[in-house]
Formats: sequence, structure tokens, C-alpha cells
Amino acid sequence: MFKKSLLLGSIIMAASLSASAKDWKEIRVAIDPTYKPFTYKTADGKPTGFDVKIAQALCDKVKAKCVFVEQQWDAMIPGLLAKKYDTIISSMSITEERLRQVAFTGKYYNTPSKVVVRKDIKTDGSPASLTGKKIGVLKGSTQEKYAKGELAKAGVNVVGYDAQDQVYLDIKAGRLDGTVADVVEVQGGFLDTPDGKNYVYVGQPLRIKKYFGEGVGVAMRKGDKDLKEALDKAIKDIRADGTWKKIADEFVPGVDIWGE
Amino acid sequence: MTPYLLSILEGSLLVLQVGLASLVVAVVLGMAGALAKTSDRPMAVWVADVYATVIRGVPDLVLMLLLFYGGQMGLNALLEALGDWPAIEIDPFAAGVLTIGFIYGAYMTETFRGAILAIPKGQMEAAMAFGMRPWQVFWRITLPQMIRLALPGFTNNWLVLMKSTALVSLLGLQDMTYLAKQAGAAARGEITNAPLLFLAFAALLYLAMTSVSMWVLGWLEKKYSMGIRLERD
Repeated sequence: MFKKSLLLGSIIMAASLSASAKDWKEIRVAIDPTYKPFTYKTADGKPTGFDVKIAQALCDKVKAKCVFVEQQWDAMIPGLLAKKYDTIISSMSITEERLRQVAFTGKYYNTPSKVVVRKDIKTDGSPASLTGKKIGVLKGSTQEKYAKGELAKAGVNVVGYDAQDQVYLDIKAGRLDGTVADVVEVQGGFLDTPDGKNYVYVGQPLRIKKYFGEGVGVAMRKGDKDLKEALDKAIKDIRADGTWKKIADEFVPGVDIWGE
Repeated sequence: MTPYLLSILEGSLLVLQVGLASLVVAVVLGMAGALAKTSDRPMAVWVADVYATVIRGVPDLVLMLLLFYGGQMGLNALLEALGDWPAIEIDPFAAGVLTIGFIYGAYMTETFRGAILAIPKGQMEAAMAFGMRPWQVFWRITLPQMIRLALPGFTNNWLVLMKSTALVSLLGLQDMTYLAKQAGAAARGEITNAPLLFLAFAALLYLAMTSVSMWVLGWLEKKYSMGIRLERD
């Protein structure tokens, strides 16, 4: 709470120090429901998906009410910092860049990424065997970091897009040879659709920490240390009592999305 | 598929609400800016100049984020520094309307200024010579002719304004474009080409709204051009 001595401190100092010891009866959770099967809306407009159900389970564990706030991806972190909501539970990867602005719990899932290319291309998925190919990735994503850090150096032409759906559209339009994407995303969004029938995974699952971070976590403001502790414990609890597995089996059946 | 289309249709209401409300703000600011710019007070000219230059020079997206999120963060910090004040939340609808209105006010300023300058100065001088007060000159001489001269530019501004309402989804409001994106994501696997289909539907709705606007504004243009033959040589 507010301390009188802070009056003399700078406004910024006050803003970062005074947030503490709040009773979390209600947790406002930001989601961007454009990411099936993790965060999306049912036809009648209700938020659902793996992230949403996990959020609800976490709120139950800390005995708080979950209030979902829809927010566009580009404005996720600004909205958190402006206190429009208290957490982001929307498949946000824990990366060094984001850790400079916000705090994260430990991971609540961690899916690997993989390279996907057209069937007729002879490659083992290694950067050197993709030289000269054109690979589309989502801008600002962990996959883009990998593609720029490893593939581009081997002479692969890496192209960035604003949305993963646009990558698929451009593959369909014949302008790309493949993509690097999260396995769950690319399986449901592309490989299982008619457009993906001539495309296959190549190489091993990619989990290099330098590019892909430590998985997906719950983001909150750095000042809310009590909330981070509570949610970290809640993640452990839902892992231990089987709630996590039940939700994972419902939305992402057949794949282990906890990771190593 | 129908529920998704209905939700996008609902989003079009928000576009109209935000669009019309911002238009009011933009017209008021534009009128004030144009009068200031054509006045003979150096201070007023300078303020209006800075407004039109800065706002037209910064991307809408950047301004929107800066005013809404930056403004909220500043406000939060200020309230916390002042003590146990209840948090004040900037309302996203009001913020969106004010920001878009503020931005397009700058464009309206230039449109209205051009219209004022196109009226022969002698007419205003003559009116003054007849003893009319400045507001009478404006009301009786400048405004009626200005409307006719400003309408083409005004129509242009309005069309661009309506489309830029898609930016309010950044403030957490669910406009048509964002709802179309959500529907595209939710229906994938069920409906082929879902993203393109829903975006095309949103595009059609925009086109319907702009077409109606153009028709109404075209009719107004005709009405205000009555009795005037455009001379060309």
C-alpha cells in the first residue's frame, strides 16, 4: 500500500513500489481468442480453449474469480502495464525480451516447433539442407528467432508474416516452400486441412532454449510478486491433481504438451 | 457459420457508433482549427499549425497506443503517488472516439481551411462593410459556401475515418475486423478458407457503409451546389 515517504520519490518509483499485498478476489485475465485450440471463441461467443480452461483452473485454486478480457495481441503487454487486466494467459512464451517488461510464472505448457516443407523437397530439416528454400514464419515469434538465427545463416530465405494464417495462405499461393511453426498449431491449422496434404514434418522437434525460451507461462506485472507466487503454486497443484491432464486431453489430445 | 456472421454484423454497429461520434469531434476540432488558421491572431495560427502538423505526421496506430496506454499509465502513476485514490479507468470507447476525432480533426482543419480560402475575400469584406459582426459574416456568408466547397474533401476524410475505426480493437473494443479474425480462427478446420471468408464478409459490410455514405454526401453536394454553375475553361 501507499507509503507516505514515497510522496517525495519520483512518480515512476511510486508506481513500481506501491503495488503489493493486494487481495486477489478477482483476477482479470487477458486473452486473444484467435489461436485455436489454445484460445478461441465458440460460435455463441464464449471464450474457450486450453489457455482459458487452465486460467479457470488456476483461479479456482487461488479462490479468485476469473474475468476474461479480450485483447488484441499487439497491445497485450501495454494493456497489462496500464492495469487494464492483471494477467495474460494466452499462449505467451516466456522470452528474455518479455521478461524485461513483465514477470512470468513457470511454464504451463511447452510444445516444440518443427520445420514443415513440401513433400517433394529433399531435406533432413537441417539448416544446410534447406539452403535456397523460402520459409515463412510469424513475425515476432520464437520460430522467427530460430529461422533468423539458424536458417538464414545457411542461406535460407526467411520471410516474416503478421499472422500464421497468412503463412498458410502464401504457401497455398505457391510463394513459400514451407514454414517453421509450433507443432500443435501447424498440425491443426495446416497439415490436417486439405491445403496441407502435400506437406510433411522434417527433422527433429526444435526446443533450443536460446530461441524458444522455456515454454508458455502466465504473465503479470513485475510488482505483483504475491500473485506470481500464488499462481506458480496453483500450476503445481493442477499438475499434481490431474486437472491439467484432463484439460490437455480435451483440447490437444494425443500429444504431450508439457514438454521436458 | 451464421452465428459468426451475426457477430461480425454486430461489430459493424460499433464501427458506426465510433465512426459517427468521432466525426462529431473531428468536425468541431476541424472547424476550430480552420478558423484559427485563417484568423489574424499569430498565437491561434501557431497552435492550429502545430496541431495539424504533428497529428498528420504521426501514424494513427502510434497515437492510439500512446494516448490510451501511455495516458492510463501516467494516470495510474499519478493517482498512486497522490495516495489511496480509487483507480480511474479510461473508458476504451471514449478513448477511441476522442483519439480518432482528434486525429481526423487535423485533416478536417485542412479541408475546411481550403474551403474558406476558396471564397473570394471581397465577399467577407463587403459583409463587414455592411456592418455585420464576425459571427454573422461566418454564419451568412462563409458557412453556406464553405459546405459546398468542403464536401468533396469531407467525404474523403469520412471514408478514411470510418475504416480507421478498425484500430479501436487495440483498445480492447471488438470491432468488425477483429471479430472477423476471431471467427476465422474459431472456424478453422470446420469451414474451408475460414479466414478469407470472414474477412471478405467484413469487407462487404464496410463497402455497404461507405456506399451509403457516398450516396448521402453526394446528394448533399448537389443540394449545396444548387444555383451554381461550375465554370471551367
